[in-house]
Amino acid sequence: MPEGAHHISSAVVTVSPAKLQDVLAELSKLDGVEVHAARDSKVVIVIEGPNTGVLGDRLTRIALLDGVITANMVYEHIDKQEVAET
Amino acid sequence: MNSQLTRREMLKAQAAGIAAAAAGMTAPAVAQPVAGGVSALEIKWSKAPCRFCGTGCGVMVGVKEGQVVATHGDMQAEVNRGLNCVKGYFLSKIMYGADRLTTPLLRKKNGVYDKDGEFEAVSWDEAFDVMADKCKQVLREKGPTAVGMFGSGQWTIFEGYAATKLMRAGLRSNNLDPNARHCMASAAYAFMRTFGMDEPMGCYDDFEHADAFVLWGSNMAEMHPILWTRVADRRLGHPHVRCAVLSTFTHRSMDLADIPIIFRPGTDLAILNYIANHIITTGRVHEDFVRNHTVFVKGATDIGYGLRPEHPLEQKATGAGDPGKTEPIDFDAFKRFVSEYTLDKVAKLSGVEPDFLEELAELYADPAKKVMSLWTMGFNQHVRGVWANQMLYNVHLLTGKISEPGNSPFSLTGQPSACGTAREVGTFAHRLPADMTVTNPEHRAHAEDIWKVPHGLIPDQPGYHAVLQDRMLKDGRLNWYWIQVNNNLQAAPNTGNETYPGYRNPDNFVVVSDAYPTVTAVNADLILPAAMWVEKEGAYGNAERRTHVWHQLVQAPGEARSDLWQLVEFSKRFTTDEVWPAEILEANPGYRGKTLFDVLFQNGNVDQFPLTEINAEFENQEAKDFGFYLQKGLFEEYARFGRGHGHDLAPYDTYHEVRGLRWPVVDGQETRWRYREGLDPYVKPGEGVKFYGNPDGKARIIAVPYEPPAESPDGEYDLWLVTGRVLEHWHSGSMTMRVPELYRAFPAAVCFMNADDARKRGLNQGAEVKIVSRRGEIRTRIETRGRNRMPKGVIFVPWFDASELINKTTLDATDPISKQTDFKKCAVKVISAA
Repeated sequence: MPEGAHHISSAVVTVSPAKLQDVLAELSKLDGVEVHAARDSKVVIVIEGPNTGVLGDRLTRIALLDGVITANMVYEHIDKQEVAET
Repeated sequence: MNSQLTRREMLKAQAAGIAAAAAGMTAPAVAQPVAGGVSALEIKWSKAPCRFCGTGCGVMVGVKEGQVVATHGDMQAEVNRGLNCVKGYFLSKIMYGADRLTTPLLRKKNGVYDKDGEFEAVSWDEAFDVMADKCKQVLREKGPTAVGMFGSGQWTIFEGYAATKLMRAGLRSNNLDPNARHCMASAAYAFMRTFGMDEPMGCYDDFEHADAFVLWGSNMAEMHPILWTRVADRRLGHPHVRCAVLSTFTHRSMDLADIPIIFRPGTDLAILNYIANHIITTGRVHEDFVRNHTVFVKGATDIGYGLRPEHPLEQKATGAGDPGKTEPIDFDAFKRFVSEYTLDKVAKLSGVEPDFLEELAELYADPAKKVMSLWTMGFNQHVRGVWANQMLYNVHLLTGKISEPGNSPFSLTGQPSACGTAREVGTFAHRLPADMTVTNPEHRAHAEDIWKVPHGLIPDQPGYHAVLQDRMLKDGRLNWYWIQVNNNLQAAPNTGNETYPGYRNPDNFVVVSDAYPTVTAVNADLILPAAMWVEKEGAYGNAERRTHVWHQLVQAPGEARSDLWQLVEFSKRFTTDEVWPAEILEANPGYRGKTLFDVLFQNGNVDQFPLTEINAEFENQEAKDFGFYLQKGLFEEYARFGRGHGHDLAPYDTYHEVRGLRWPVVDGQETRWRYREGLDPYVKPGEGVKFYGNPDGKARIIAVPYEPPAESPDGEYDLWLVTGRVLEHWHSGSMTMRVPELYRAFPAAVCFMNADDARKRGLNQGAEVKIVSRRGEIRTRIETRGRNRMPKGVIFVPWFDASELINKTTLDATDPISKQTDFKKCAVKVISAA
């Protein structure tokens, strides 16, 4: 896997509706994680970082947060052009 | 800089938009997918099923410059609809571990093979020369019962099919078993004993139709996250839906449970009989269904624990001689049999609150509720696993809650092709393709006809099953052994006493084909480097009967070759005169002097499709090497077993176009629910429901009792040990432990323990301890917090960690019918290592 690329992934997090606000608060504390939409039991997030490792770490942590039922990746973009430009 | 930021915001919006679509949410205006952002990257995307569990998610695999650089969930795949769990997210990395095997390695001393030598790189020619010599020597001295193979539910369909041909018709040995014996055998036997036909009647569509879900010994939240998302969506989106979770400890799946049930290990059998009793005593038996579509039988009891015959428990067991025996009874006899499983008695035995048991029983008894039952290893890895599976079918059959949308007893699987390869192809020691068996003379003759080999070639006795293979290796009766796509020295029970000694027995030659130097590989005599996943063309069959095919997308590194290539190439080393009996060759002189490659693979069937039929956009290493479209030839020959017999597969080329199809595929249509008129083309108009796997068209309801586990805690070994998996790692970790991020997320196994149990032993969180059983011991650390919360008296240790081989402590007790090991119940003690 090339070093120096920028990874952008989206994920769907399924939560207990009663704990939605708690989960959103926890998500806001995580570096490189942005909430893009949230309703009832579903939260759409974007995770970004320098490599898949950082992203996977985040996803694993999110999957194990209290109130989270599952967290699954959907789409990943590896932005190599970024590196060439910088 | 500004343009970069804009570009990044655009990419994020695009990613979020796709996720919102996958979640079924309306995408916010800013998050509409943006065209052109991705195409700029020049990644070639192709479909494949995921390499890991039995869910069978579709993924899109992105290849650039000969390397897999990205994967994402396939939006067009019905199974996962664009989602990808954390293991699936790291799929692109499993092939690129630093210690990937790229050349055959043979133990040598002074330039020649020596069991006590060190591994040296050798050519494929030298590797196969030594391997064939050893095989022929064993065949000459001891005959076909001394050679064997241990395969996998991760084999592609072609690989399992080539293996079964090579072993049974080529080398004339039924000592072929898959590691699926450790995970699926109880489910498979129960299907055969109940319905006369393997695999679920329903499918994943049941998730969106059920009013209640019941998990029996399955932690779907960690092991099947994508399917758990479908359960969660149904439960959270429909307030009337209920979810019951049964386990011997509290795990992540309990978070969704309306009815959480923690029971004493083994007492699930009693709970199941209580539910049957509750249905009968409250007058909720579906009488028409039971009268027309079921018959009642009584099973043999006191059937032992599948241990070595000299073990005192086997000596004592009165029914161990014929554990699978059944005799007919009637409904009244069944009613009397389960009547002793009262709420009061079962609550005491199981340790479960009576209210919870009654609520659970009502889910099944209430005719207005559609129930989907789900299970994995808690049921299957059980000394009474076949019974447990069958007792659950009892409950669904008594209420007629089966074979229709939402009413579904559904056996989940753990490996990507446990169904497609191990079960459908039939790589168990007693099986042939399409549910046929080696003990049935008509089945053998039919297989020999399709394979175009002489009658009388396939041996008529079942071979050694997984645990028996280990015992026979140790005892020196199985001497040539080929292991493919599994890590048995880490996975098998009681490995220190029953597995390792056989691998290092000086009389034995052990070959391991793998992509990585697993603990099994490094204890072999010859290691063959394997191509994996999208480095070859493949086909898997998932838990819902879905057959899914993929193209080769990248080249394997170095000299690594697929297991299929290895099996077929190795067959060239044998002539029929060397391995077939003289009388068969005398009666069939046309087969004389041919190689096994000639008679098994260049037989007019397997070699009938030319290279020109391969899609020119994709590589196909095996086809190129052998000169014909090997995978298509194998698939089409194999498909002849099932077409017209309820196992119909579509034409091979169709599978390259679709995201899998659920068999039977009849007139181009897949079948989502079997055995019911209007849903299954094999049920004729007017028949209603027909369990056509059995000659009388009826399913079996079985009367069997609660019987205790093989080993329970006592004064000295005072704790139950349960083993299993965690979210981050898959099985023995040979792939996931090589993904640095997954390794770091959960680097070493731990012992999950109740805090009071730890305190009583003077152990703190994180303390280093020894887990000791009558078989062996390991060192690990105590975890009293975290994702699994243990009741008093029970510990849980995951088995992915090669540095902490928990299977040194487990007991090699099996279900006596399925021969599947019970990894969930043995007695240990935990002591400080300080």
